[in-house]
Amino acid sequence: MSRLAISDCEGFHRRDFLKLGAGGLFGLTLPQLLRLQASASAAQQQKRRANAVILLWLGGGPSHQDIWDLKPEAPEGIRSQFKPISTKADGVRISEHMPKTAQVADKMSIVRSLYHTIPSHGPASVFMTTGNKPTPALEYPSLGSLMAKLMKSEKGVPPYVSFGDIRGGRAGVSGYLGTAYNPFIVEGSAGGKGKGGNSLRVRGIQLPNGFTLEELENRDKLFQGFDDTFRSLDRSADLVDGLDAFHKQALEILRSDKTKKAFDLEQEKAAVRERYGSTPFGQGALAARRLVEAGVRFATVSLGGWDTHNKNFDALSKRLLPSLDQTLSALIDDLSQRGLLDTTIVYCAGEFGRTPKINKNVGRDHWARSMAVALAGGGLRRGYAHGTTDAHGMAPATDPCTPDDVAATIFHCLGIDPHTELTTSTGRPIQLFREGRIVEKMLA
Amino acid sequence: MPKSKSSSFCLIWALLALTCCAVPTARAEVVLPGGERVRKVDFERHIMGVFGRMGCNSGSCHGSFQGKGGFRLSLFGYDPAKDYLSLTREAEGRRINFADPDNSLLLLKATGRVPHEGQARFGRESWAYQLLRTWIVEGAKRTPGSGAVAQIAIDPPEYAFDKHGETGQLRVQATFADGTTETITSLCDFRTNDDAVVEVTQLGQVRGVRPGDTAVVVSYRGNVVPVRVLVPYTAKKGARYPQVPEVNFIDREVFAKLRRLNIEPSVLSGDAEFLRRVTLDAIGTLPTPKEVRDFLADTREDKRTRKIDELLSHPMHAALWATKFCDITGNNTDTLENPAQRKARLSQMWHDWFRKRLAENVPYDEIVRGVLCATSRGELRPEEYVEQVKKTEAVERGFNSAYANRPTLDLFWRKQQRVPIEQWGEKTAAAFLGVRLECAQCHKHPFDRWTQTDYRAYANVFAQVSFAISPESQKLFRTANEERKQNPKDKDKKKLPLAPLREVFVVAKGTASQPLPDPDTNKALSARALGGPEIPFESGKDPRQTLFEWMHEGENPFFARSFVNRVWGHYFGTGIVNPVDDFSLANPPSNAKLLDALAEAFVAGRFNIRDLERKILLSRTYQLTAAPNETNRLDHTNYSHANIRPLMAEVMVDALNAALGASETFGPEMPVNSRAIEVGASRAQNASVNYAFRIFGRPPRTTACDCERAAEPGLPQKLYLMADPTILQKLQAPQGRIRKLLAAEKDDDKVLDELVLAALSRLPTAKERAAFAKHRAKCKDRQTAFFDTMWALINTNEFVFNH
Repeated sequence: MSRLAISDCEGFHRRDFLKLGAGGLFGLTLPQLLRLQASASAAQQQKRRANAVILLWLGGGPSHQDIWDLKPEAPEGIRSQFKPISTKADGVRISEHMPKTAQVADKMSIVRSLYHTIPSHGPASVFMTTGNKPTPALEYPSLGSLMAKLMKSEKGVPPYVSFGDIRGGRAGVSGYLGTAYNPFIVEGSAGGKGKGGNSLRVRGIQLPNGFTLEELENRDKLFQGFDDTFRSLDRSADLVDGLDAFHKQALEILRSDKTKKAFDLEQEKAAVRERYGSTPFGQGALAARRLVEAGVRFATVSLGGWDTHNKNFDALSKRLLPSLDQTLSALIDDLSQRGLLDTTIVYCAGEFGRTPKINKNVGRDHWARSMAVALAGGGLRRGYAHGTTDAHGMAPATDPCTPDDVAATIFHCLGIDPHTELTTSTGRPIQLFREGRIVEKMLA
Repeated sequence: MPKSKSSSFCLIWALLALTCCAVPTARAEVVLPGGERVRKVDFERHIMGVFGRMGCNSGSCHGSFQGKGGFRLSLFGYDPAKDYLSLTREAEGRRINFADPDNSLLLLKATGRVPHEGQARFGRESWAYQLLRTWIVEGAKRTPGSGAVAQIAIDPPEYAFDKHGETGQLRVQATFADGTTETITSLCDFRTNDDAVVEVTQLGQVRGVRPGDTAVVVSYRGNVVPVRVLVPYTAKKGARYPQVPEVNFIDREVFAKLRRLNIEPSVLSGDAEFLRRVTLDAIGTLPTPKEVRDFLADTREDKRTRKIDELLSHPMHAALWATKFCDITGNNTDTLENPAQRKARLSQMWHDWFRKRLAENVPYDEIVRGVLCATSRGELRPEEYVEQVKKTEAVERGFNSAYANRPTLDLFWRKQQRVPIEQWGEKTAAAFLGVRLECAQCHKHPFDRWTQTDYRAYANVFAQVSFAISPESQKLFRTANEERKQNPKDKDKKKLPLAPLREVFVVAKGTASQPLPDPDTNKALSARALGGPEIPFESGKDPRQTLFEWMHEGENPFFARSFVNRVWGHYFGTGIVNPVDDFSLANPPSNAKLLDALAEAFVAGRFNIRDLERKILLSRTYQLTAAPNETNRLDHTNYSHANIRPLMAEVMVDALNAALGASETFGPEMPVNSRAIEVGASRAQNASVNYAFRIFGRPPRTTACDCERAAEPGLPQKLYLMADPTILQKLQAPQGRIRKLLAAEKDDDKVLDELVLAALSRLPTAKERAAFAKHRAKCKDRQTAFFDTMWALINTNEFVFNH
């Protein structure tokens, strides 16, 4: 650890930050972290708090007025080709291609008055996944990285996992928190049939095929005989101590089979697996639920293809919505039945909405000035649609809110003050979501 | 604050208070806990001092831009006029109560007698209370400018203890603009940069905790002064400080400082230790087993000097430093000009441009000029420029793109998205001056000299720089296209009109970006070098050129220092100013004389980078062993022994490949068998490599800050070395080192020698031989035993760190 203690704008010492910054991952013992946890658990005693988030990421930008916010009264050329249907939530109507989701809408919070100003995939994805408007001066950490830093994690389980990268690793990453808070990437997929159809593993925390635990232990014994020379060199070097501690932890993780077990989807009843859908997205969501049960704090599962500039309605009705409908409803229902919905937030979002006006290719283009996301669980109000948009779904009409607000609300539900201050490595104090206000109406 | 003292002050105050009541016209005197007597309470000097000292105007309290609880103070008190107004005029004047001073809202809140989110800051008996109250009693006046500070002096300016455990007192005296002086110790904030070495109380009492040295940073209302505090090592009785030979001025300065601390430098490193360190540092990879054997067998006196010269002229030396320059200048592939598929190539050209100059040892100032004053076209005509781009930027492989021959690095300025001028200010300040400016964007830098005005005036230097289609180019192409339309030649018919290219240029008239106004008056603000002279607007003159001249000529305190410090930081793992890009008042150099001497030599040698490196590498200081002695065990900032430090991510990837006898594919634009330090793109086009880069902390180069390069080891690194599939596969690859060696060499001892040489650059110890023999006996086959051995070797700290 650095020996410097430079003060930042707030007068905190760099040292304070480094103590906090170096830990976090897999619950290193750190006074600050423990204190944070202590206060969080005190809060938990009053009320069961959310402690995990599953993000269903709809990359490309899902068309809000064909899924969550239909405008049947709007003129042709704007109005969706789909009809709205009633749901189990009073007065909340969604797309006819989301019938299963309609049956769990009484457990959901749909945000219809969300908006921002960036109709470009890259920066919009960053905005949505970080809760901070991107700036060239500073890379904000994603929600998952923040949770990895601020929440206690289970031993032997990675705090933040992502099924594949978002936009090639340009979003969903750790930003100013530093490389230790990046997501652990899940590789492989579980969409295939039978036993061979599941090749899920997290790179870096599981032994690869063909390398057994026994071999690892053997090698480690030999290693102990080799690492001696250097140890006598400089006992006081923090770096060396740090890496020695990590060596022990790494062994612990490699020995642990919690993650591996979570990926063993064969443990689930066939009916459950089928309900989630036999797609990589569906099985990923199921694996995410199992990971959350094992102690993962934040899991991202992606379904791409929402950038429907052409044949919007075909793509939605034939491909995207059936898949989303099945998986989203199964996840919410399953969490609910297992009593996990109180402690787990499901967040279903993409980077922006799509143009109210239908283009000449029967598609819709990028539109950030109004969009919709769906949430469920973890202390959020149930059976609720937040805000409205104007007659054509062009912009919010009531209760406008921004990605910062949604992020602040989620963190509030997790028992983390959205205005908690962190310090960047240059010593600059940064609030988690400076512009974010908790959306009180969305709280249960 | 010592309890007994404060109560005696209370007593004094009580007496004084009594006197005041009895003789209301008499001037009240307030005695501060440091013994200072304040005869006339002054708003700017004392009241603002209390606000700073008690944290009232910090960013998390009333200094926040939104204020707190409806009360806003300027952050760290940079604006006394505004603060005076909000105290005396806002909240319907309730903050000050002349009729009943004790019931002033200001005092009620500060003492917690009415609910205060910030709790009680001080009690009614405290000196702070008496200061505020007396000020109110005396009419709550303000003399504008009374608190303007001309100078802060600390007595003593440097504190040297005799041994640890002792305490001492710092006294702070301010000289104000009107020439008066006042002792203000009690109104200052004191912070230590390393509380393991020196502790300091809020009243300026310092204590030496253990041998070493650090800076105590004193600040009084935004004026920051550091004091170095030294705690010498207590030698055993009868011990005499040894004579240490010096090679050059570097040793002179380093050893002089160590002498003052009574810390002895370690002995010279052994040949194997030296060779591994210097090879990793200079060319970013491990010495081969043969190189180690040859070096150990070499009996020439000057073999280290020869090795240093060989490495400094090695092609990989230029590649390594090109990578570092790419970090410094922010070669972020994602932000480069579209189309997307060409970005990686552009990044590589950026790297090539530096690499060529470093290989030719072009002087540092020339390199910086090429970056800072870059234009796309130079003297070329627009159509010649289009032709040149076609030629130099064609997609191809390798490191020798014609782009490197261009005089300037226009890619630095060629970003797809428009970059606001304040970003250019921050980037260039960090890259070439080692100064972090970002705090000053919104308020005066709390721990440095920079004001918002400095920040904006500096940003305005870049207001004339444009990256667009230049008017000249536009006009020329329009004419050409119209001509083609009117007299179409057959071959033109099917083609699209000729398209001009965006280019980096300086606009001839006006500005390309709106200059930033003066933060106080909102009036136009002239461009200025950072803390330097005005750069007046001159048509046809590139203001960046004037900036460059200011940077590299004369006595610029940052230009040469920031670079020599970077080079030093690279070779020692810790900058003399550390972090290396954080030159600020609150972060003074650990050895100012050394830094000055290096900078002087660098300037005198006309910015000859290789010569600077050579001096550093030849010094005894660089060649000391990493093993500490009894006296220097705790030292990590004075170079008494080699610091243990992590490898750069790229070097780690290369070192692993070198040890395992493997190679890597970095992407389509990279030739096979390239090294990671030759990769220009901030994102390699190979997922496995990106993964390794990420966990070993290769910076994404999104901000102009060296801090992006993670220097701390992390758990994922350990997991990677232990269990990553690519590592395990390379370990056992048919073309890898182990299997090739096993096929060629039947003697196990020799194979073991070779593996330890390849990974650790030395021969195995007797203990390691024994450990191997024991393990070999348990293994079912020879191959497994050696796979296991290599695995163990690359997991040792000795492999993972440079030392």
